[in-house]
Amino acid sequence: MDTDQLIQQLSRGPTPVGRLPAPWRRAAIWFAISVPYVAAVIWLHSMSFDVTQMLADRQFIVEQIATLLTAIAAVTAAFCSVVPGYDRRILLFPLPPLTIWLISIGEGCVRDWLRLGAQGLALRADWDCLPPAALIGIVPALAIVIMLRRGAPLYPRVSLALAALAVAALGNFGLRFFHVGDASIMVLVWHFGSVVVLALLAGWIGKRVLNWKKAELAAQP
Amino acid sequence: MHSPNEADRLGNLMRAAQEGDSDAYLLVLREITPLLRRAVHQHRNFLQSSDVEDLVQDILLSLHSVRATYDPARPFLPWLMAIARNRMADGARRHVRRAANEVSVAEYPETFSDEPTNNLGDGYRDPEALRQAIGSLPHGQRQAIEMLKLREMSLKEAASMTGMSVVALKVAVHRGMTALRKVLSVEA
Repeated sequence: MDTDQLIQQLSRGPTPVGRLPAPWRRAAIWFAISVPYVAAVIWLHSMSFDVTQMLADRQFIVEQIATLLTAIAAVTAAFCSVVPGYDRRILLFPLPPLTIWLISIGEGCVRDWLRLGAQGLALRADWDCLPPAALIGIVPALAIVIMLRRGAPLYPRVSLALAALAVAALGNFGLRFFHVGDASIMVLVWHFGSVVVLALLAGWIGKRVLNWKKAELAAQP
Repeated sequence: MHSPNEADRLGNLMRAAQEGDSDAYLLVLREITPLLRRAVHQHRNFLQSSDVEDLVQDILLSLHSVRATYDPARPFLPWLMAIARNRMADGARRHVRRAANEVSVAEYPETFSDEPTNNLGDGYRDPEALRQAIGSLPHGQRQAIEMLKLREMSLKEAASMTGMSVVALKVAVHRGMTALRKVLSVEA
């Protein structure tokens, strides 16, 4: 087929397409879907938390703000990554809050070590946390993948890694309310570690989930 | 390169196309095609003109599939060129992969004019001896050679037919080939 024939074919009666909202608006939609779900999972697991203890813990507050900002920055960057024409530097948007999050946990680890010695860095498994941790990401992950697939798969690995970062950061934000007094090493390994692993895994399968073939198939009437 | 007014016009046409105006879509596709062709020529000047055209068509198809991502509040040309650059990068990766796996030979080299020296086929010169040598192999090796070398089945297919594992098949075919080489070289 020559190019002119292709153009004729493509332009023959195109149905109106629903224009994609701006990335920040899509990020807000994703939060509107995900936050009630995260809250519901936590409520269903009957977890209770102590507000006074939370407000007294400065490190906890810094960590939570950084986690939430990481989720916001990552989801916005993920949605920008599937819209052609944005500056690629926007993909680095989640790095500052992510760095603050990591520094805050690292500072906590050092403080625990100075206070308790080797005991402060002792790691244990917290199996009670596993079911809500596994459940908490399902709806946000499905929602973000469906939303990303409506865009252009320009950087599939990065887009999916950012999506996983957003999902994991939001999940951690919710779960962390019930681990206020946890040792920082626990937070570093189980919480931050799971975020990194999920983002890497998602990046690895990025091209299978988001690619031009799928986009072209989806666009066919 | 298009002037800002021209780019605005293309953006407006694209907006109309998103709303279902087929004439506007036809116009925008026709106007951007030479632009894309130039960009491909500029960035991939080693490509044959048919490859350039293939790449331009790829870009047009991709643009069509993600036309919902164009935001009329943002400039049109950076949107278009981001898609084009992405597809060109994919095209280059494909080209490199293809080049790495293909050896194009216009003509098989002929060393001597005599027919016996130009045995281009891979067939063995004494098929009867080969058949007998294969027949003398143990059952597993014979089966592996027949399926993988003579019938050119894939390892997966042969494994499902024989019930042998892929590793066992590989070992059997390797041992069978070694045995054949030995037998046939003694006979020669």
